[in-house]
Amino acid sequence: MDSVFSQLSVLGSSLVLIFGLILLWRRGVTAYISAFTWQSIVLSAVTVIVAYFGKDRELYWVAAGLLLLKGLVIPRLLKQMERRFAAERELEPYVNTASSLVVSGLLVLFGYAVTRPLVALSQLPTRAGMPLAMGLVLVSLFVVISRKKALTQVIGFLMLENGLALLAVLGTYGIPLIVELGVFLDVLMGFLVMQIFIYQIHETFESIDVEQLNRLRH
Amino acid sequence: MLLGPPLLGALLAAAVRPYRRFVGWTSAVLSLSSIGAAVTLWRHVLAGDVVTSGPGEFLRADALSTLLALCVSMVGALAAWLGPGLATGEDYDAAQTRRFRIFGNLFTFTMLFAVTSNNVGFMWIAIEATTITSAMLIPLHVTKASVEASWKYILIGSIGIALAFGGTVLGYFDFVNLVGRQEAALNWTVLRASAPQLHPEVIQLAFVFILIGYGTKAGLAPMHTWLPDAHSEAPSPLSAMMSGVLLAVALYAVIRWEAVVNAAVGTGFTDGLYIGLGVLSIAIAAFSLVIQRNYKRMLAYSSIEHTGLICVGLALGPLGTFAAMLHLLNHALAKSMMFLLAGRVLHRYGSTEIGRVSGLLKVMPWTGGLFAAGMLAVIGLPPFGLFISEFALFRAGFAAGRPWLMGLVLALLAVAFVSMIGHLNRMLYGAPTAGVPVGERDLWPLVPLGACLAALVVLGVVLPAPLQALLRQIVEIVEQ
Repeated sequence: MDSVFSQLSVLGSSLVLIFGLILLWRRGVTAYISAFTWQSIVLSAVTVIVAYFGKDRELYWVAAGLLLLKGLVIPRLLKQMERRFAAERELEPYVNTASSLVVSGLLVLFGYAVTRPLVALSQLPTRAGMPLAMGLVLVSLFVVISRKKALTQVIGFLMLENGLALLAVLGTYGIPLIVELGVFLDVLMGFLVMQIFIYQIHETFESIDVEQLNRLRH
Repeated sequence: MLLGPPLLGALLAAAVRPYRRFVGWTSAVLSLSSIGAAVTLWRHVLAGDVVTSGPGEFLRADALSTLLALCVSMVGALAAWLGPGLATGEDYDAAQTRRFRIFGNLFTFTMLFAVTSNNVGFMWIAIEATTITSAMLIPLHVTKASVEASWKYILIGSIGIALAFGGTVLGYFDFVNLVGRQEAALNWTVLRASAPQLHPEVIQLAFVFILIGYGTKAGLAPMHTWLPDAHSEAPSPLSAMMSGVLLAVALYAVIRWEAVVNAAVGTGFTDGLYIGLGVLSIAIAAFSLVIQRNYKRMLAYSSIEHTGLICVGLALGPLGTFAAMLHLLNHALAKSMMFLLAGRVLHRYGSTEIGRVSGLLKVMPWTGGLFAAGMLAVIGLPPFGLFISEFALFRAGFAAGRPWLMGLVLALLAVAFVSMIGHLNRMLYGAPTAGVPVGERDLWPLVPLGACLAALVVLGVVLPAPLQALLRQIVEIVEQ
């Protein structure tokens, strides 16, 4: 039973990470949005698996919340924005594809190194997935830093949050539900504010290329 | 009582659509009752109580919370009285005024909630909410610069906060492994009590995430890059709140976790991290001050410098913590006053360039005088409070046997000192800039700002006994 559980959770975590890596080699916001949507769906599925095997009723609610918020509402809003900015051409990121893949590989390895004490300590059957979650956190951080489009940066940020949610669910079977609800609310509000700002950037700069944001120095 | 007023003010502002002035007055008066509540809290805490309320000690205020609640409610009141909430017209239109009333009050509410929540999860949620509410106010006037500043702020701030969430999860992970899952596990009191049994490696990793995460919001280098932009482009009352207390609230979150980590692995680990980031912040701030051409950015970099100082103080044992907390209070007073004064200067001269401001003492004698005195306070001259707290900090450093560190910090402070005096001179003297009307108007806002300065002088001369007792209690909480 436990071995099925642990294999399923590792499989799910790997999928979540792989959807994160898509940001590195695909071009085009459409691909990024669907990668994020699928990542959130898989994350929600992993949460259901943990809820089922870990016999934790609260986690079903968390999974439902994840699916609703990150699998449905946010992707829809993202698509709306994408349609609005569809005419903009894609930009070379600061780091080219080949090097970013190498960097990400190193980051995932680093994730393994960082989480070694956690894996050694934990008794949970889900522990083997934790390094993958940490890897996703680091890779998303890299995506945010190395991309020039405001929209891509937002998606990178959302993936970073997915990585943290995965870490929480694998490491602790989820934080208390009431806190989780507050986190959902924050994620939604934060996203809405970012959306407002992207529209403002578009209006004032006539593009959402963040390279233009270089007025303020020193 | 503490949390109610700003929330009420925000709801009222949101509910009343015709933009009536009484809404602004109501939140201004309500903000005073928050201060009253904070002072009551202070009295209770000094009597030895820990004030709690809600199911399962949901809200909990000890000495550390009280100090922060005092700072936040005072600066919140300053912003409510002197900000666009009560503005009479030309600068802000009705929609902007309403937006400021709503989000300004919410911002104060989230900060007060962050410092009184017992649950570190809710503390995190509240601090994330401070990012959202304050970011909404930065582009009150939409310009290219303010849009850029708000984007950098929300992106960098959110990522930092997300990393702090990672740290919170890791801390919770450690706890769950120890005693199993339970609802109260994220309560600070529970974490603190079980700290000695936590696993050193995990809790250290958690603290690194926490420090980088909340440190981003506190403006610690090298994660400080959003800070000068946001502080300089935000409307002045918001800059005052961000610089005066938001940074302090972020540090508060770090200190809460520090208490847990210190109890688990001793103070050596956190001390090293604090000193590294603190000295780096002071150094970057000092050298950025030299090349500064914009006075609001100058004040922002000075905030980074002071945050760095507080961090270094936290690493210097009980005496250092005492000095750091006193410094936090002094800085909240001084910097919020300075940003509000800078707002007046900006209003008159229409520019944030130091080069465009000259003859300030002739153009606005009272504002200029207060600005000069405040600047001397900020750079740490007697007879102001910041001199005393910096002096106490250095004494703590020498007592802790770190003379080299103190020498380095002192040298960096001297660099900041010289460059800020230079900038100040350029603004105060000389012929008034052409086209700027001479003469002071609208004097009453200077009364509360003068009171801030008076408070700084008082703190520079004596350390009132109730405050001293409060600070001692904080030291016990952090260092025991």
